[in-house]
Amino acid sequence: MSDLPLLIHRVEPKRLATVLGAIFVGGAILVATSSVAFSAPQWSPQSSERLIKLPPSYLEKSIEHDFARSELGTAIHDSEENISLKGNTLADLQKAIETADSDVRGELRHQFLSEKRNYLAMMSERNDLRRKHLMTKRRLFDDMLSRLSAEEGEMTPEKEELIELQKAASERFESSLAKVDQRLFEAPELEESKYSKQYAQNKTAIEQLVARIDNHKMNQTAMSDNGVPLTRVEHVRRMVADVQTELAVLDQEETILGYMAKLVALDGMALAEEGLDEELLDSDVAQTNLTPAKNVSFFLNN
Amino acid sequence: MKPQFFALACASVIAFSATAHAGTLENLERERAMTINTFMDASLSVDERQAKLDSQRRRLVDLERIVMRDESLRGQNTKTVRIAFQNYDVTFLGHASAEKGHTMFDHWLSQFDVSTDSLMATRVGRR
Repeated sequence: MSDLPLLIHRVEPKRLATVLGAIFVGGAILVATSSVAFSAPQWSPQSSERLIKLPPSYLEKSIEHDFARSELGTAIHDSEENISLKGNTLADLQKAIETADSDVRGELRHQFLSEKRNYLAMMSERNDLRRKHLMTKRRLFDDMLSRLSAEEGEMTPEKEELIELQKAASERFESSLAKVDQRLFEAPELEESKYSKQYAQNKTAIEQLVARIDNHKMNQTAMSDNGVPLTRVEHVRRMVADVQTELAVLDQEETILGYMAKLVALDGMALAEEGLDEELLDSDVAQTNLTPAKNVSFFLNN
Repeated sequence: MKPQFFALACASVIAFSATAHAGTLENLERERAMTINTFMDASLSVDERQAKLDSQRRRLVDLERIVMRDESLRGQNTKTVRIAFQNYDVTFLGHASAEKGHTMFDHWLSQFDVSTDSLMATRVGRR
């Protein structure tokens, strides 16, 4: 027989029950944690053809609007509101400590410390959500970049050659247009064709509309800081860089939160030490009477 | 499947295939083929051919302009489109001939290194 059943037999029933109970509680905690992870607020933007084709000025606003309406966006908004309220509470407590008497002051300092701990927990939670937001945004931009690269990759040398040929043909065609018309209408009995007439009419309308579209503010190309127009890929890359910057700032903020947490812990220890000192001071036993030399008189006289 | 449904399905397929649109380039190719046919048509008198070619040139020029302004052909990397744009003088016969100041027939022949003079210099003989 293996050792394991023997071990089980040897364990006292009370201890076995405790171990099994601990395993059950551990399992329950694990399940609860994972369900919390599943129910964590989400934002799942999709990189679509439509999104890539959006005008640069509208693209960022569209993404931010989608985020603001998502569960994650709402959670961050709520969290920031709560942090703001907590900040007010901390400020009030700080003021109250300055003016309080010594007894109440101790109580308030404990409360202040506890509120600071809560404030840090809330800040940390908000930062986790912000990180999730930024990471999702970066993934979205990466997807967009790969889509845009795929579109660029469609340009084969053969296709490039064809486009060049079409460009050359178009230039030759435009330059010969007047000459062709002149030759065509050399014969006085020939009048302009139906297509030519209607094309001329429509062309005027099209030119007006195109001019309006070109000047439309939503159709403006994105510009760099020094006024150089950016391509779509460059614009998305710039947004990726912005997200990266925000992530770096977030890392720095987390370092600050870490130092704040350390200070709270040190303050807590200081408060605890002060409490111990007070207890010692309150003791009825005089420490000086405990030395043997001070009590020699008890033994010298009967 | 019931015979009535089958007949209906066949009719739908035929109707849809009948409404399929030919591309602008295909229409131009068709009109150009008809023009070349007129060049070669031995049954026409000189005046008849000239009258027919004048009218065909108008249509050809319109169709060439339609092709040239067709944005859907930009970068459309198919064999037909590639060949069409590799041979501007043949594809856009109406424009190219007017640009060079030739008749369409002369211009078309010149693309195959045949000129009116070289044709006139030929003589019928036995090989």
